[in-house]
Amino acid sequence: MNIIKKKRIFINSLFKWTIFLLLQQIVISKKLKAKSKPKILIIGGGFGGMSCLKYFSNFKDLVDLTLVDKSDQIQTCPFSNLVIGGLLDYSQITFNLKLDSFVKFYKNQVKKIHPHKKKVEFIDGSILEYDFLILSPGIGFKNQQINGYSLQDKTNIPHCWDGTKNIKKFKSYLNSLENKSVIIISSPDYPYRCPPAPYERASMIANFLKKRKKKFKILIFDAKNSFTKKDIFFSEWKENYGDSVEWIKRDKGGILTNYETKFVYNNQGQKIKGDFIHIIPEQKAANIIFDSNLSYSDWCKINPTTFELNDFKDIYVLGDSVDAGDMPKSAFSAESQSKVLSINLINRIMQKSYIDPVFLNTCYSFSAPNRAFSISSWYKLNKTKDSIVSLGSSESKLKASSLERQRESIEAFGWYESITKKLYI
Amino acid sequence: MRILLLLFFFLNCNFINATDINIMIIIENCKSCHGEDYSGNKYIKSLKNLGKEKFINSMKQIKSKNDHSVMSRIVKPLSDEDIQIIAEYIYEHN
Repeated sequence: MNIIKKKRIFINSLFKWTIFLLLQQIVISKKLKAKSKPKILIIGGGFGGMSCLKYFSNFKDLVDLTLVDKSDQIQTCPFSNLVIGGLLDYSQITFNLKLDSFVKFYKNQVKKIHPHKKKVEFIDGSILEYDFLILSPGIGFKNQQINGYSLQDKTNIPHCWDGTKNIKKFKSYLNSLENKSVIIISSPDYPYRCPPAPYERASMIANFLKKRKKKFKILIFDAKNSFTKKDIFFSEWKENYGDSVEWIKRDKGGILTNYETKFVYNNQGQKIKGDFIHIIPEQKAANIIFDSNLSYSDWCKINPTTFELNDFKDIYVLGDSVDAGDMPKSAFSAESQSKVLSINLINRIMQKSYIDPVFLNTCYSFSAPNRAFSISSWYKLNKTKDSIVSLGSSESKLKASSLERQRESIEAFGWYESITKKLYI
Repeated sequence: MRILLLLFFFLNCNFINATDINIMIIIENCKSCHGEDYSGNKYIKSLKNLGKEKFINSMKQIKSKNDHSVMSRIVKPLSDEDIQIIAEYIYEHN
């Protein structure tokens, strides 16, 4: 055998071995990939996102968990009105995220989601990949609802509807009010985060001023003709604050059209002077939804069995940003949704069938110290399984004893302590 | 025989009916207030040491009260059978 022939045989066998090794590598890497844990990326450390994380933590050997939030500290929206009312201190609604050692925490702000590449881009240019993306991004706000009023204008009273430290600024404005001040509150049209909250806020402002022995008038201009727990609020306002709180419904001039410093104009052309003008903006899904082109309407359309976006595979949204049918936008709702989402995503990963969802919501409201009342409902899916429907809501008694109101206040604190203890430290 | 029993158990585990599934989710919602281990807190009753029979009686009592308390409103849509299954889940499965 000559040298050339030997070389040819050697090269030939080397080529075959290389092909064999390459193929083997591909098979091994595919096997490894199949065995690697799916990456679940959760965006948002609020009640919805953290509750998902808590549930997935039971399956740490099955999934790889990463939580993203711009902060490792949270100020809860539930009970924030109690800080305004002077019932709680700001420190009592501020927590650090509770994270297990196997959870990766990425402190950063999301710039855009790339659903087709399954990547999340951050404002500093960094990128994270995911197999399943869970968005619990909270709420967004519409601008230009009232002429002359801008959300960006820092001289306005902050709306305090998004869990920020602005609550301190809000209180300092409130603290500076003189006797016989007029407070104007503009309550938005549905849907918005926490339906009874504008009226609880009015109650807490009233409580704050009453405690300082100041006379005041609170005018609530409402874009709606009714609101949740209306009769109980009316009764509580009368009992605790006399005629100091007045509600103006949509049809009687409740829509504010123009805003000037110290003045507003309503849809009946009246000019009303206010010493403290508090505009609660109309709302929509969080900005990241629109920045990433994930929704073409104000709220995300989801499959209510899985919470997966209708138009984007492997992206799940829960909480305030979704159209959840009859379910109100509340922390309680978000937590209830998180359980269905998490159980069914684990079922998907384990190739098991989905469970039939059931949800619960209870919204507590405070009218004064030791006086709370609530509305509750269970929810299921409709027959076509494409919407969440209420099984019938029920409220606290209209005329309840002080003891009954106190008992609900204790239960409200109980719920808050349980949920914050589970998710935060 | 043992293999047959195991097979029977395995098959049954994979065929949980809808009511059982809903009960599991209902219990997940109970935990929102009563805590992950049902131990409650300084404001909310612990279910942990109540025991199955006391729990069932207590739930049925709350349901019949009609006092518009949060619990009576939450318990109202549950049937006696649901309450029984919830009790079994809390006190026997865990």
